[in-house]
Amino acid sequence: MPGEIAFEFPELFFTGLWLTIQISVLGLVGAIVIGTFVALARVSPLVPLRWIGGAYVEFFRNTPLIVQLFFLFLGLPFLGFRFSTDTFESIFRAAATGMALYHGAYVAEVVRGGLLGVDRGQIEAARSLGLSYVQMLQHVQLPQTFRSVIPPLGNIGIALVKNTSLASTIGVAELLYAAEIVESRTFRTYEAFIAATMLYLLLTIPLGIAVNALERRMLVVR
Amino acid sequence: MRGLTRAFALGLALAFIAAACTVGTTTPSPTVAASATSGRPKLELSTYQYALQTKGKIRIGTQEDNTPFSVKNPATGKWDGFDVAVGREIAKAIFGESDDPDKYIEYVPVTSATRIPSLTDNKADVIIKTFTINEDRKKQIDFSDVYFKTGQRILVKKDNTTIKEAADLAGKTVCAQRGSTSEQNISSATNGAARPLLLDSYPACLLALQQGQADAVSTDETILFGLVKQDPNTKIVGKYFSTEPYGIGIKKSVNGDRTGFVDFINRTQIVMITGGTWAKLYEQYITPVSGDKKRTPDD
Repeated sequence: MPGEIAFEFPELFFTGLWLTIQISVLGLVGAIVIGTFVALARVSPLVPLRWIGGAYVEFFRNTPLIVQLFFLFLGLPFLGFRFSTDTFESIFRAAATGMALYHGAYVAEVVRGGLLGVDRGQIEAARSLGLSYVQMLQHVQLPQTFRSVIPPLGNIGIALVKNTSLASTIGVAELLYAAEIVESRTFRTYEAFIAATMLYLLLTIPLGIAVNALERRMLVVR
Repeated sequence: MRGLTRAFALGLALAFIAAACTVGTTTPSPTVAASATSGRPKLELSTYQYALQTKGKIRIGTQEDNTPFSVKNPATGKWDGFDVAVGREIAKAIFGESDDPDKYIEYVPVTSATRIPSLTDNKADVIIKTFTINEDRKKQIDFSDVYFKTGQRILVKKDNTTIKEAADLAGKTVCAQRGSTSEQNISSATNGAARPLLLDSYPACLLALQQGQADAVSTDETILFGLVKQDPNTKIVGKYFSTEPYGIGIKKSVNGDRTGFVDFINRTQIVMITGGTWAKLYEQYITPVSGDKKRTPDD
């Protein structure tokens, strides 16, 4: 049976799967929070905020994720910052942070598109009814934005789960790392990578189904 | 005009005659060319080394950035290092003494991934590149005798006094390359008690060591030499806890196309070792980074 090798090395594959899940969840939540704030900055009436938001997106979107992870793990100490005194906690935190920062830039662009897609009339009506800017965001603009950006956010989520494999380059013992170790010890390359692929699909396919269900429930009828 | 054309034709004719004369006198008869008239070693006709001697060039495959074994100076394009020097000794054995042995050598840059294919595809005649002899590889290519022995050791910061042997790595963070035999050796030597930080390359491991994110780096001593050169504030400790014997890689003889070559390389190596050249090369290239002296590979 394909993927059987995962049960021969459960401490590598299933611990790896658990770490992948942890980094994915933390990364995705972080990315959505960061991305929303950056998107709001980009559409804000204040010019400095727009500039900061734009710079964030340009930087994190245009540099490779591997480089960002490397910098978070081995570059920050030069600037005096460490995530933790324990190296393994450090690499985990660096990986989760890297996922959030990098995908945050993509979320920001998607949410910005959603914000701009909300009917101008809605915003003007809200303001003329006396709602403050924050109240308008909270009750009118953001809820409508999120309903419309669920499919692209789902895309980013699935991409994020797969990108966690890059955390192996800074030493995180996640799923890809498990496959590589098992391969180098047993030379059973195909089996090891098929097992890893199946475990990744175990995460991405349900995520895709959940996003589709959510989208159907919150269908934006125009 | 007529006079000019005739003069030209005459000149051309003289040139052709002169060329024909010189060509006639230098046509070598096969047995004579290999003799000592040109100061070159006498080699047997049917062998590969004789074919190389006639061709006038040997293609040596080695790596550009493998301190202290092979380094190519990017500014001057000159190659240097222990492996490169061994290659020059082989060139000397085929082409004779010369003030510039490199004129008989064509260096073919290879990496660990391309070294076996470069032999089997006949892109290089020999591979001299910190090449560990093992049974799997012997199925694909031939190896010379061992010309260098090394093993796995440990790199720590110079002021580290707690790690002296492999057993001391228990509970410590040790950095090695992911998927390498080095990380497997660490695991077996410490019974899984070391905490492995597996990165993509040894320079990255060195960085982790420098920042204190790793307590030690462990791999072949020869790679550690390169790291010490990069950062003199580190030192190599511990006895070998694995053995890596290096050999020169040669393509397997198919239909006799490499006849006598492996034996020739082995004989050249023996001459190098017994004659003291090996010890001199060790002192020149390895001692500055290792601090020890060896007279033979078995020391």
